[in-house]
Amino acid sequence: MSVRSSSARTNPTNTRSSRRRTFFTIVVLFVIIAVFVVRLVDIQVVQADSLTKDSVGNRSVGQVIYGSRGEIVDGNGVVLAGTVMRYNITMSPVNATPFKRTVDGKKVELSVADAAAEIGAATGQTGDAILLTISTALEANSKANFAYIAQKVDVDVLRAVQELHIPWTYSENSPSRVYPNGAVAGNLLGFLSGEGVPQAGLESGQDACLASTDGSETYEKGADGVRIPGSSVTGTEAVDGGDVVTTIDSDLQWFVQQTLAARAQETGAAWANAVVQDAKTGKLLAVADYPSVDPNNVGGTENPDDRGSRAFTQSFEPGSTFKALTAASVLDAGVATLDTGVVAPYRYLPSNGANINDSHSHPDQNMTLTGVLIDSSNTGMSKFGEMLTDQQRYDYMKAFGLGTATETGFPREDGGILHPADEWDNQTSYATMFGQGLTTTALQIASIYQTIANDGVRMPVQLVEGCRQADGTLTDVPDTTGTRVLSESAANDTSDVLEMVYQKSWVNAKWNIPGYRVAAKTGTAQMPDGHGGYSNGYLVSVSGFAPADDPQYVVSVSIADPVKLNTSAAPAPVFQEIMSQVLKKYRAVPSGASAPDLPSTW
Amino acid sequence: MSDNLARVSFAVEREEFEAPGRRPFRIVSSSPSRRTRPRIFYALTAVAGMAAIIVAQLLLSVGISQGAYEISSLQSSQSELGRTAAGVSEDLARVSSPQSLAANAEGLGMVSNSNPVYLRLSDGAVLGAPASASGSQAGAASLVPNALLTGSTLLSQLPDHAAAGTVAITSAPVVPAGLAAPTTR
Repeated sequence: MSVRSSSARTNPTNTRSSRRRTFFTIVVLFVIIAVFVVRLVDIQVVQADSLTKDSVGNRSVGQVIYGSRGEIVDGNGVVLAGTVMRYNITMSPVNATPFKRTVDGKKVELSVADAAAEIGAATGQTGDAILLTISTALEANSKANFAYIAQKVDVDVLRAVQELHIPWTYSENSPSRVYPNGAVAGNLLGFLSGEGVPQAGLESGQDACLASTDGSETYEKGADGVRIPGSSVTGTEAVDGGDVVTTIDSDLQWFVQQTLAARAQETGAAWANAVVQDAKTGKLLAVADYPSVDPNNVGGTENPDDRGSRAFTQSFEPGSTFKALTAASVLDAGVATLDTGVVAPYRYLPSNGANINDSHSHPDQNMTLTGVLIDSSNTGMSKFGEMLTDQQRYDYMKAFGLGTATETGFPREDGGILHPADEWDNQTSYATMFGQGLTTTALQIASIYQTIANDGVRMPVQLVEGCRQADGTLTDVPDTTGTRVLSESAANDTSDVLEMVYQKSWVNAKWNIPGYRVAAKTGTAQMPDGHGGYSNGYLVSVSGFAPADDPQYVVSVSIADPVKLNTSAAPAPVFQEIMSQVLKKYRAVPSGASAPDLPSTW
Repeated sequence: MSDNLARVSFAVEREEFEAPGRRPFRIVSSSPSRRTRPRIFYALTAVAGMAAIIVAQLLLSVGISQGAYEISSLQSSQSELGRTAAGVSEDLARVSSPQSLAANAEGLGMVSNSNPVYLRLSDGAVLGAPASASGSQAGAASLVPNALLTGSTLLSQLPDHAAAGTVAITSAPVVPAGLAAPTTR
């Protein structure tokens, strides 16, 4: 200002040029300001999003915090399925170049081949295999920055690789599922796919309880990878899954599986299963299948049908073990007593046109219900069964839980085939008295015996106690209210009959448990050939409970098509071993009371 | 810095402004040295304060960074220890599986007797029928596979010193040359 006024005073022409200069300066200033404003708007508004993203990407690190999938534990808290952290060893193929390493104070250069050999020694591969991985990755993409060296390795391998300090190798977390007890309860647990998706069993059925939610965390780090103090941390917390508490006893489960597998292999069986159930609560203590999958090595079980639990998913015609249900129905309805007698011929041709015969030829016999069950006579059973109408027997079967899947909630559980009584043809009307013409699962048979053992009250079949949350509370606890199916006296009478069967059966020597009172029944049922007829194979089974004077445990064993021994002599020793183990394990002390002695003839 | 200087000059101005009114009473005391010394004093104080603040802030920042590195290294050692703990408890779960226990028990020559017998203490009654164990009942070979046990060795197959180390059997302490017995005559 002072400059202008002084020059104005000295020279008028200078004043004009001075104004022009001023004007020019102002214009230049405005242009410069305009440039800055445009740039500012460009940065702050137009490119704001991408620049922010870039800046965050440069200094902040986001990482996944893995939520831990819940455990599956047995009734005693033993972990049957758990989550462990495994690690993937990765590398950057494009950066796989020779590097220098300090050994004993001297710098040594390592070639890629040397490094690959060292990695291979740590991960159990050959160096050549790792070089091949590098070259394959680079062939597919000459700037490939990522390739797996090894996946899901344990911490020892991870540390061995990390100690090599090879600059182009990295690691990442990879949570995995582990089953510490292997195939023990593998049939029930199911397994996950490689991507962690539940495929079968409890893993699948209880996924709502087990599933976890991964969280994330973002923080800012310096060039050396250390978190900048006070930098903003944003993210969501990981939520761990709940634990599924089952009713299974893992030690017993192992014993049952081992015993069953030994006998199934000895007799050349196609498959087999065994169920141990608590008679008073309906809880399943063991459900064994042969063959059985090891969830740690699912591929080791070739047939996909062997990877689940046939005890739940495969129904079959039960055969003579079913006669206990018919006997109980007849006794409960009051149409016969333990003293009622029938004449059992070898072949019985009822008025409706059915044709029933026994397994072996014999003259007419005067039998009580006890005698019919001891000899497992189909004709005798038919004469008792026809005392009830088809509808009455159907109603009893429904009350015993047949025709619908049990309460376990196991995935793909089979409910068996039970047609309504008015759809039964003449033969089916009689066949359903001795366990043909309908199908049941091994669990449903066990449940029938549980009902008889528990004074006629059927308890819901229970496999899962509930879902244990992080705070220790148990949620999703299944209903455990029993339903009365039989009167107490009918149940006890049936139990006495089954105890007579145990004592007098031809397999007595094979299932005898010294000192205990046991109630049991054998079954030998022809198996369907898949084309509407019967094959030459038999499904042989034994079901029963002990101690008979105060029943506590139900054991049911089924062996399908044991080609080397297709009679009840195949499952009887398994029943004996399992029941002995159960009684010993749970300290079921024999009462010493004497067994009933019922007449089998009249 | 500039803030402090401004304050100093303001103080000086005020002094000069007030000076004319009081000049008659303050002739003796208004020597130039007296007037300039506070300026330097204030400036030095301000500069020293600033320096102190900067040093303190630097130290604080170094301390926080040091803490960050310490936290970082402690966190990584915690995660390493966590990994070790997880690995070890995984091993424990593996060797306490029924297959491992059964194989080891049979390897040590133990047999299972599934025939339960009870002795009632109140009257000495024997409940059940005693019978001796019939030997390996379920068969020696495990029919319930466990892929996790592949390659693991039975205790009975380990070399003696290794077995002792693994199961931590400590033999009775060796007493040098026996206990010193009192000699009485």
